[in-house]
This record gives sequence, C-alpha cells and structure tokens, in this order.
Amino acid sequence: MMDVLSNISLGLGVAATFQNLLYCLIGTFLGTVVGVLPGIGPVTTVAMLMPISFTLEPVSALIMMAGIYYGAQYGGSTTAILINIPGEASSVVTSLDGHQMARQGRAGPALGMAALGSFFAGTVATFVIAFGAPPLAKLALQFGPAEYFSLMLCGLVAAIVLARGSIIKAIAMVVVGLIFGLAGSDVNSGIRRFTFGVQGLADGIEFVALSMAIYGVAEVIVNLEKKDGAAGIAGSIGKVLPSWADIKLCIPSVLRGTALGSVLGVLPGGGALLASFSAYTLEKKVASEPRRFGQGDIRGVAAPESANNAGAQTSFIPMLTLGIPSNPTMALMIGALMVHGITPGPRVMTDRPELFWGVVASMWLGNLMLVVLNLPMVGLWVRLLRMPYRMMFPAIIGFCCIGTYTINSNVTDIAVMAAITLFGYLCLKLDCEPAPLILGYVLGPMMEENLRRALLISRGDPTIFVSAPISLGFLIAAAALLLIVAAPAIRQRREEVMVE
Amino acid sequence: MFIRAPKDFWSGLMFLAFAAVTIVTASGYSMGRGGRMGPGYFPTLLGIVLAVLGTILVIRSLIIHGDRVERIALKPLVMLVGCVVLFGMMIKPLGLIIALPVTTFLSAFAGDDVRWREAIGLSAGLTLLSLIIFVYVLGLPLPVWPDL
Repeated sequence: MMDVLSNISLGLGVAATFQNLLYCLIGTFLGTVVGVLPGIGPVTTVAMLMPISFTLEPVSALIMMAGIYYGAQYGGSTTAILINIPGEASSVVTSLDGHQMARQGRAGPALGMAALGSFFAGTVATFVIAFGAPPLAKLALQFGPAEYFSLMLCGLVAAIVLARGSIIKAIAMVVVGLIFGLAGSDVNSGIRRFTFGVQGLADGIEFVALSMAIYGVAEVIVNLEKKDGAAGIAGSIGKVLPSWADIKLCIPSVLRGTALGSVLGVLPGGGALLASFSAYTLEKKVASEPRRFGQGDIRGVAAPESANNAGAQTSFIPMLTLGIPSNPTMALMIGALMVHGITPGPRVMTDRPELFWGVVASMWLGNLMLVVLNLPMVGLWVRLLRMPYRMMFPAIIGFCCIGTYTINSNVTDIAVMAAITLFGYLCLKLDCEPAPLILGYVLGPMMEENLRRALLISRGDPTIFVSAPISLGFLIAAAALLLIVAAPAIRQRREEVMVE
Repeated sequence: MFIRAPKDFWSGLMFLAFAAVTIVTASGYSMGRGGRMGPGYFPTLLGIVLAVLGTILVIRSLIIHGDRVERIALKPLVMLVGCVVLFGMMIKPLGLIIALPVTTFLSAFAGDDVRWREAIGLSAGLTLLSLIIFVYVLGLPLPVWPDL
C-alpha cells in the first residue's frame, strides 16, 4: 500500500511538471479534435499524430500519446452520439442510445454523462493499474523464453478470437505481420532478411510507414468509395450537465461498467471494444425495463462509456508490464516507445520507474482534463462535425507523408508506405482485418528471439514448451480459446454480439 | 469455375503467394538446427503455416458459399498511392514548400466532389500549418526549400 502511494507520488511528480502537463493537455486536446472528425477513428488519430511526439523526451512522448488516445476515444463517442457515426467499433454501442437521446434533444446530458462516467472509470482504472501492474511485472520477470513465447502465442490467439471476421484469415494476417516484422537485419547472424537488396530496408519495414499506410492512406481510400451522404446533426444539444435524477439513475451502471471494463481491458484483444459491448449487454440484462434500451436510455450511454474508458486504460497493463499489445493502439504505443529506444517489458517498471509511474499518473490528470475540456467545448465539436470529408482526407494524406518521411529522412519509407497501402487496401477488400497484422508485426522479432533462446536452452527439444508448467498453461489457454470459438454455437453468438 | 466464396478464394491465393515468396526467400538463409536456430528457421516455419492457412481458405472457398468481392475503387486507389509516391519523389529535390501543396492539392481530386478553390485553399493552409508545427515548433528535420 505504502509502495503504491509512494509510486503514485513519484508519478505525480513527473506528470505534474509544467512541461508534461502541457503535453498531456495538448495530447488530449488534439486527440479529441481529430477524434471528433467523422471518419477518423482513434487508431488513425494516434497513428497520424505520432510524429509530433518524436522529438520529445520518452516520458513526455508517452504521456502525450496516451492523451491523444483517450482524447480520440472520447472524441469518437461524441461523433457517435451526435451524428450516429461511431469512429471505432468500441463506440458503436454508445451510438445506440446516445444518438436516440440526441434526436430527442438530449445530446447534452448524453455527452455530459459520457464524460463524467469516463472520468470516474478512468480514476478507478488508474488505481487498478497502480495496484495490478507491479505484481504482474514481478511475475513476468521470472518468465523464461519458453514462457514468453507461449504467452505471446496465447496473446495473439486471444486477440484473434476476440476480433471480428473470419478466424482463419485473422490467423493468416498475424502470420503475415510476423513475417513483416522479421524483415531487415537479423540481430543474431547479421544477415539482411527480406530486403531484396534494397538498402533502405536494412532496418526492416518502418513501423510508422506500416501503420500510416494501413490506418491512414488505405483507410481514406475505403472511406472515399463509401460515398455516404452528409450526416444529420441533432439540432439542439440541451444542457450539458446531466440532471441529478440522471446521475442517480446512472451510478450503478457506471459502477458495473467500470468494473467490467477494468477486467476486460487487461485481456489481450479485449481493450475498449469488448468492454463496451459487454457492459451494454449487462445493463440490458440487469435493467427492470430492458425495452427502453435503444430508445435513448441514458444508462445505455453511461455504462459502455465507463467500460470503454476503463478498458482503454487497463489495456496499458499488458503493454507496459509484458510488452504485449492487446490491441492495435497499444501496438502503436510500443512502436512509438521503440522509436525512443525503449523496449516495453517487465524491466521498464524497475529500470525507468519515472516513465511508468509518470504515465500512470498522467492518465488520471488527462482524464480530468478531458472533463474540463469537453463540457464547455461541446459547441466547438459540433462545428467540427460539420466539416466535410473532402476537406479532411487530403490533410490525412499530407500528414502521413510528412510523418513517414521525418522518422528516418528516408525516401524508401515513403515507397514502403505506398506499397503497403496497396496491400492493405487489398486486405480490406477481401475482409482480412489489418489489426492482427499490426500485432504480429510488433511481436514478430520478440517471438523469434524467445523461440530461439528457448530451443537453445533445451538443445533443440521442442517439448520445453509443454514441460514448463506456466508455458503449458498459456498453450492450453490458447488452444481452449481456439476450440471454443470453433464451436458453432459460440461462433454464432460471437457474430451476433459483434454485429448488434 | 466452381469458386463459391470469391473473397475467401482470393485471400487464400494472396496468402499462398505471400507464403511462396517467404519460403523461397528464406531458403537462401541458413536454417540451423533446432538448438541453434539459423536466420532461415522462423521465416520458413511461418511460411509453411501461412501456406497451410492459404490452402484451407482456397479449398473451403470451393465448397462453402461466401461473399463476392466488391468493385475495387480504382480512382482513389491509384490517385492516392500516386500522390504518396509523388511526395517521395519531390521531397528531397524540391522541399516541403513544393512537395506538400502539390501532394495535398492533387489528392483532393481522388474524391468525387472536387472544388478547385477549396482544394487550393486547403493545400496552401495545410502547408503553412505544417511549416509552423513540424518545422518551426517541433524542429523536425525536413527539407523546406528546393535543393538547388
């Protein structure tokens, strides 16, 4: 307990410096602004704004990126409520009741409740991280290469199972991602792999080029062909602060959403998406009049919004303690940390406590800023929402080009971005989700290294993965997950939940 | 032909092609033995897994019915990828001051609803904004002026 308190105060000391507060504010503000723009989801927002953090100190950079992430998350909910276009799957459920409320002229309370619920959930999630992360990191420090390999395998499987669409395609995309991750100089032999003689590929496929190609350029192309008409924005917003009756009604929902979100966020592949879906479903089950859901019930906004914010935040736990991304955004965070020369893993907490605790503390401050920022600025967001897509996409293309070029001042990276855009578009057309690819890319080199080390220890005996108990446990969990999803009944249920 | 699920069929072929390139390329690297994995070991393993998955997709697509592939939006695809390539070709010799406005202006034409004046204003504004944010505030190493 004392440890946690002293750690939090260390973190507050780092996060509350003028400079870091400023970066946190800029991050949450920019994240919200870009996240509010229709058609730009949180992942795209984080990918696009990443270059801004490159010149900063690692701590400040991560604080700013985290700010961008939850800002974008909140911005996405605003779009979902006001114009019924969820920026990301995780705010789909928010739009169900949120947009109904907006059409009844109660957009204000919906937005206000979303902000208050998110703030409460964020506060709780910060403590979950503060208490939960250190024991997990301590445990992870005892993992050998075999355990790590199996853990990563299990994480990848979980991420696939919880994603949408065909499972075979998702596994194939992970494998493609793993192969992408291996390109460049091999650490052990020094041999250049998959560079096809291109000098600029010696350091591998640049992560920024990959993520911008898929979440920036390819996404724009897909959006351009959709050609949906201008969305109608609800006229009057109403008072932003929810009434006391609304708040009282929502307290249990917010509590349930927060609890559910905090737990689900830690799971690989979980994060915000699963959290918000489950919270909404739970509310519907618990409510005495479930029929009111979908017709503008404020609890249908409060619960998933609290859950997705809690989940978004606790998904930092596996990223910061194990170095394993649970969703594409966390993969982007790992990529950004690597740009700064930090490899996320259990050692970060002991070697760079100021980084770890500074980020944790800044999350709470960032959530506070979100409330302060959002309640009075709803009017501005409404005006941003009227921005037509034709004004936005050239800017996305421009920022992607600049961002990819500046990372190494290397024209090859631009060419790589162009090539992966073609590939990414093809994948999207064939219903192959790109998220597993990004996760695979980040984990590729680590998986190879751990596999190599594990086999070195066992002298080539592959049974090491099943003879070490922890490793066996991860493998069983992975196999069980795959089997469960392959079962037709559950498969159908999963599709229902994702489609709803 | 008996392709019942075109989307699965083509993605299967795509993965098979990818697997083939991977396995062939990796065959040029030393495999090593289990205890001492060479640089070719893991990629070959992945290539084989991918080939199996691709085969499953292709076979399944001949048996189970599935979605058709929707029309490919050639115009935005070609134009935007072209714009990215163009940016890459222009940034070093011509600098940001020319590369960025040209790229953003041309990319505006990838949409259906193009307005000349808006596109000009947008690209000019973006260039100014980028110069301020990226070059002057953040100090990113970008060539601003043409390299004469």
